[in-house]
Amino acid sequence: MRNFVLVPEVMVVAGALALLVAGRTRGRSRWWFPGAAAGLALAALVVELWVGATLATFFGGALVQDRFALFAKAAVLLAAALAIAVTDWTEENAPAVGMAMILLGAFGVMVIASAGDFVGLWAGLEVAAAAGVVLVSLRRSDLALRLLVAGGVASGLLLIGLAFIYATTGAADLQAVRHAAATTGATLPFGIPVLLLLGGLAVRAGLPPLQFVRVPIGLGASPLGAGIVIGLVAAAALTVAVKVTALLSPVPAAFSPYLMVAAAVAMVVGGAAALATRSPRARLAYLAAGQVGWIAAGLATHYRSGLGASVFLLGAFAIAATAGPAVMAGADIGEFALAGMGLLRPARAAAIALVFLSLAGAPPLAGFFGEFAVAASLAQSGAMWLLALGVLGAVMSVGAAIGTLRAIYLQNPPDESRRVAGARLPVLTRLSTYGAIALCVAIAGYGIFANPIVSLADQASEALLR
Amino acid sequence: MLAAIAAATPTPAGVPGAGIFTSPLILSLTIWVPVVVAIVMNTVPNPRGRYDTLMKQIAFFTNLGIFFVLFIAYHLFETFLPTLQYEEKLPWLPSIGVTYHLGVDGPGMTMMMLSCLIGIVSVLASWGVRERVRSYFTLLLLTQATVNGAIASHDMFVLLLFWGAATIPVALLILGWGGPGREAAAWRLVGYWSIGTAALLVATMTVYGASGGTSFDMDVVLKAALTPRVQLAAGLALMVAAATRLPLFPFHGWVRDVYSEAPLGVSVVIAGTASRLGGYLLLRGLVAADADASRLLSPLLAALAAVTIIYAAVVALRSVDLRWAAAHLAMVPGGITVLGLAALTPLSIAGSVLSMFTGGLVAALIVAAAWVVTDRAQTRSLSVLSGLAPRMPILTWLLVLGALGLLGVPLLASFPAETMIFFGSFKTQPIGSFAVAAGLVLTAIALAVVAHRVLFGQPNHDAPAVSDASLGETWYLGLLAGGLLWVGLFPSGPKLPGTDLPLFDPGLVNVMSAGITDIASPYVQPAPTAAQ
Repeated sequence: MRNFVLVPEVMVVAGALALLVAGRTRGRSRWWFPGAAAGLALAALVVELWVGATLATFFGGALVQDRFALFAKAAVLLAAALAIAVTDWTEENAPAVGMAMILLGAFGVMVIASAGDFVGLWAGLEVAAAAGVVLVSLRRSDLALRLLVAGGVASGLLLIGLAFIYATTGAADLQAVRHAAATTGATLPFGIPVLLLLGGLAVRAGLPPLQFVRVPIGLGASPLGAGIVIGLVAAAALTVAVKVTALLSPVPAAFSPYLMVAAAVAMVVGGAAALATRSPRARLAYLAAGQVGWIAAGLATHYRSGLGASVFLLGAFAIAATAGPAVMAGADIGEFALAGMGLLRPARAAAIALVFLSLAGAPPLAGFFGEFAVAASLAQSGAMWLLALGVLGAVMSVGAAIGTLRAIYLQNPPDESRRVAGARLPVLTRLSTYGAIALCVAIAGYGIFANPIVSLADQASEALLR
Repeated sequence: MLAAIAAATPTPAGVPGAGIFTSPLILSLTIWVPVVVAIVMNTVPNPRGRYDTLMKQIAFFTNLGIFFVLFIAYHLFETFLPTLQYEEKLPWLPSIGVTYHLGVDGPGMTMMMLSCLIGIVSVLASWGVRERVRSYFTLLLLTQATVNGAIASHDMFVLLLFWGAATIPVALLILGWGGPGREAAAWRLVGYWSIGTAALLVATMTVYGASGGTSFDMDVVLKAALTPRVQLAAGLALMVAAATRLPLFPFHGWVRDVYSEAPLGVSVVIAGTASRLGGYLLLRGLVAADADASRLLSPLLAALAAVTIIYAAVVALRSVDLRWAAAHLAMVPGGITVLGLAALTPLSIAGSVLSMFTGGLVAALIVAAAWVVTDRAQTRSLSVLSGLAPRMPILTWLLVLGALGLLGVPLLASFPAETMIFFGSFKTQPIGSFAVAAGLVLTAIALAVVAHRVLFGQPNHDAPAVSDASLGETWYLGLLAGGLLWVGLFPSGPKLPGTDLPLFDPGLVNVMSAGITDIASPYVQPAPTAAQ
């Protein structure tokens, strides 16, 4: 079974390359591409769930298959499959490239999840981010350049941080760094690189107030491009953050205070900005930013329960934030693009509604369960002030989500003439309908049947802290 | 021969369906059946509203079915057992100690009966909805499910889940089907109720953290030995949560707009059950759990109750809009309930539980009757509405019945409730009781002024034409009034003539008493000995 552990990665990369090649061929019917790509991601997920429970190391410890890797890979593969299935491919500039990029983005997260050293963490993050840049460039090269520059800054901070940690501890292997950190303690030479590292990750994840790049890009990119930038790249950065905070857990003083402040700002600013904006995609981006704050809050507790809660919430976030912009299709032009969607595209409308509510942390969906688990860990650690700020952010987020639900379900559809001018309805296909239903089931089921997922997240946190 | 038959069949053969009403899933049915029906309704194609009537019927029969099942559960309720009944317990998130724990004791069963009755009334009151019927009834059923869930939950997480979830369908119902001021109404409601949800979350996390962080089960969290400081902090947060729902002054900002702008069926649900959850939360989370904090906070609670009632009466007296007046008057039962809980005597606590039931019926009746009167009279202005009694005899009766119910006159269910509360309160909260009584006098004056002006004054010949309640309106308003009369006339249920055998109704007072002794036991003062 050990030999099959890397099969999902191989499947995803092979599928992405095949799509890139197939996209260059002429005169072939390509209607089956999305179904095949979604099916491939699902098949990779099934293989991962089947063989991923095997504990193994590869390439001399550079890749590690543990429970965290299983959890993160399963979550990102599900997110990729759902995003491909719900995307309105007539909105995308180069569908084959889009599908390939989301698969490559997922591959980047899979590499991070399995990474046993700094190189793997950095390489995976760069792969995921590069996929986002490529996809954004297909529609807006100026925004792609902006994303590239911001990504360069983030990458620079990250690399400097990693290099300094390597210099301080003398190791790049995560386990060795963990042991070294325990003996070194929270010294200044150790604290500064950690701060740089977290800063780089915060830029990548779009943690408010550093969302200045992600939100405009999310607005200008194609739906799937926005999904990668808002969801998948952020999930990649958060996966790195989970691993980094786990290895720094012996010296919480080196990261916990910064992370708490960053989480507080993200939760409150994310909620307030979501409430203030009217554009559905920008609102989704801010709601996602608020939820990133919750994940950071869980990590800041530096307890196993907090880590487990953050891992659980990370899965919910990856699914909702990656598939969310894709399922909204052309809603970047304004709220009226969603008006009456509940009447005209009920399955897609339900999926959009659940995505918004889950990212806002409304009960009884995946986001609520995750945020509640984080809240419980905050209460256990005595960080009641952070909990209070998080609740404030969540209240504003739920208010914002209700505003979008109103547009979907309570406003009448715009005239067809006006719709043609900008707000074209997503094309109705069997795949997108089934994908939207599957997205609804995933978001609702992730919370309602949370027990096995929470158990896996708990095992994941145990594996990280071992 | 009989002995032989008995010996031959020592255990009776299983009858299909027997025991269904003692099934451990009965509370889950009341929560999840409306959810499933709502999802199915929302997915069934309804081209151009072709099946709108069917949607209404489905919503009605769903509520009726739940009421029927629950009524049998109520009939089979063991009134001598102080423990939870119809209990369901499943691990949900074991790693943080969340269990899917449902169960009802006497007060819980009373609230469930109220919720199901109000559910039926709300569907009937919504029969006139014409736009987006499917969405409306989907949301109404979801609201019903969240209220039932909040009542039945015995785990703080589950309570919080349903408590918070109620905000979304209610807000959407107001935004989608409300009157001209629906925007303000919906956002005010979202704001205040969200504050309440946040306060409940803070209270939950405070006691969870202080009790070791192992379980959210109420049996663990609310019975843990907590320091007085933690009890006080959690108690204050619970008070805020409850005050946003009941509502109590100064968390009442949503009342006027919501009750006057929300569609009638939604107003009925909010006034009837959703707002009663505030009192129920105080009972469960504060009075039954934290005796020290309850004693410490009881003067504050009594003061809030008094201020709420006096404020509501004064504002109703000065209102220029009948719906606004009714909205403020609907705050009065909540204040009375809180006084009973603040008094912390067995009698007053029992009165509070009964007053949650009667208060729900009265508030719903007042709000609904005022809504129908203004709808039929084509104006809400108290300067225009005048002398309607001869032209609206049915509505006049119902409105007057609601007003009398609010004041707690004999023969109505609110009479025993208010009597128990005042008899139980004067000793422990004399100032609060006196102030609440004074507030009730003001309420009586406000009711008399409004009723005299609207119903019995000189007819206004310049006013638009009016008509009396339709048959449908009479039915659902009559159901509310009938509930008040029934419990008022038969608080212990009707008996077979000449015997103590109950007929179909074991009596609301008997059912609600199960569990109150346990709740009130920390507050029972020792009886004086003979030597003393």
